[in-house]
Amino acid sequence: MKIDMKKVGAWFDDRLALTPIFKYMTKKEVPQHEHSIWYYTGSSILLFLAIQIVTGIMLALYYKPTLEGANDSVGRIMTDLPLGWLVRSIHSWSATFMIAFVLTHLLAIWFTKSYRKPREATWMTGMMLLVVSMVFGFTGYLLPWDDLSLSATKVGTNIPNAIPVVGKWVTQFLRGGDDVTGDTLTRFFLFHVCILPLVIFAILAVHILLVQKEGMSVPLEAEVKKKKVPALPFWPNFILREVMIWLVLLGTLLTVALVFAPTLGPSADMMAPAPAGVKPEWYFLFLFQTLKIFPGNMGPVTGEFVAVVLILVAIVAIFFLPFIDTKPEGKKGRIINYLGVLGLIYAIVFSIWSLL
Amino acid sequence: MRIDNAYFTRRKFLNSILGGWLGTLAVTFVSPIVKFVWPPYKEPDEVKLAFADFAGMKPGEVKGFPWGAKPGLLKRAEDGSFIAFIGVCSHLDCNVSWMADKKKFFCACHEGWYDENGMNIAGPPPKPLRRLETSVEGEDFFVRKPGAGAKA
Ligand code: HEM
Ligand code: FES
Repeated sequence: MKIDMKKVGAWFDDRLALTPIFKYMTKKEVPQHEHSIWYYTGSSILLFLAIQIVTGIMLALYYKPTLEGANDSVGRIMTDLPLGWLVRSIHSWSATFMIAFVLTHLLAIWFTKSYRKPREATWMTGMMLLVVSMVFGFTGYLLPWDDLSLSATKVGTNIPNAIPVVGKWVTQFLRGGDDVTGDTLTRFFLFHVCILPLVIFAILAVHILLVQKEGMSVPLEAEVKKKKVPALPFWPNFILREVMIWLVLLGTLLTVALVFAPTLGPSADMMAPAPAGVKPEWYFLFLFQTLKIFPGNMGPVTGEFVAVVLILVAIVAIFFLPFIDTKPEGKKGRIINYLGVLGLIYAIVFSIWSLL
Repeated sequence: MRIDNAYFTRRKFLNSILGGWLGTLAVTFVSPIVKFVWPPYKEPDEVKLAFADFAGMKPGEVKGFPWGAKPGLLKRAEDGSFIAFIGVCSHLDCNVSWMADKKKFFCACHEGWYDENGMNIAGPPPKPLRRLETSVEGEDFFVRKPGAGAKA
């Protein structure tokens, strides 16, 4: 029997109503201007997310989320399995690249003010994606269960404790008890491979739907002066450029992963003193340094409490940035750009300081 | 419909009863889930160790012992008595170490220091190390939370 592919296609189109989507893709246009390069940051994140999914599933085939098995199973992946060390290295580096691109994406949108009306919800779902990405990194860091990852997790999960009443519950929820134990490891594994993927897909679906609904933003000046901005068809021109960028990124990722493979310390001992040089992942370093400079007590409260409250206020303010920046083309809009620069300098300086 | 002089309508009354009932039902379902997710493990009130393991400690020496999932640190004072600490930093929970040469406890996470009596003296720690009580009962060496009392 000969299968008529046209008919099969028509059947799927009829059931799933795909034609409008394809039509949309061929009609979609991407504005071309001096800031267009930043439009590629979003899709680059998608590339690294895809790599995380593939390599993550591969690692999960052999990883064991238990107190006795975790460190050994990672060692086994690195030494016994064909190219296992590379799979682990790619997963670890692609996480770094992904977070770096999420941060770049956020900063580019901050400085071009693409979050302005009508894209406030796109920004807010984006902030959620940033938080989820960082929680991905945080939970993943514990899984090799070596002494550095244990101490980093103790510190990280103890931070909510600084907040009276609810904080204790959050810490106990994260740890599965009062201490970081084997139960914490099992929990983090579950967050990392099940709960967070579900959450990130749900938020990402809304984020991308909103991007499609509003179309790509044009630069602020062009919008204010009602200038016409030249545009590039999304299909195939923009996609082709995207694919080229993906290839370059993939090559860079593979090179870095080949040369700088992550190490694995000995299995964590819950009774051992914290090792020297406890450090979180690079994207938490500025927060780590912030916690370090606050003194033990500040008047009636602990310094840690003050630091945590300040950090939370900053996160909430950034989340609601589109509603704070009500006059993007005015003076207030410029001040917010300067604040962005200031925040970036703060993060860089504190990160470097934490390494000294 | 509202009966003369009534505070609310019949619909509002029935809706509140139904709503209250649904709310109660929801709590009944959710509370066991919450209890399951937040496990009941607490740190121990006391641990029993063998005195023979610690009897030979010299004054000034520090030895570790397991306090549930946390490290305990036992120090022998100059007068031969024992002082027990929970070896967990009061800042953000890292395990501290005993620096025998400096006679201080040190936390490597954010460089917190405690003196030999567990008092926080430098760095971010806001409070002293938590102290435990000790008692020797025959062959057994008990370490317990202050006020936990001996179980006769
Ligand atoms: C997992 C993380 C994320 C993924 C996979 C992702 C993906 C994307 C994609 C594919 C686009 C369209 C292309 C582009 O403009 O670059 C986009 C646009 C956008 N994203 Fe994200 N994003 C993420 C995180 C964020 C974050 C952290 C923010 C900011 C808080 C954000 C805010 C926005 C906004 C406002 C747009 C619209 C830009 C415009 O129309 O010019 N996103 N995102
Ligand atoms: S956890 Fe000990 S100094 Fe921060």
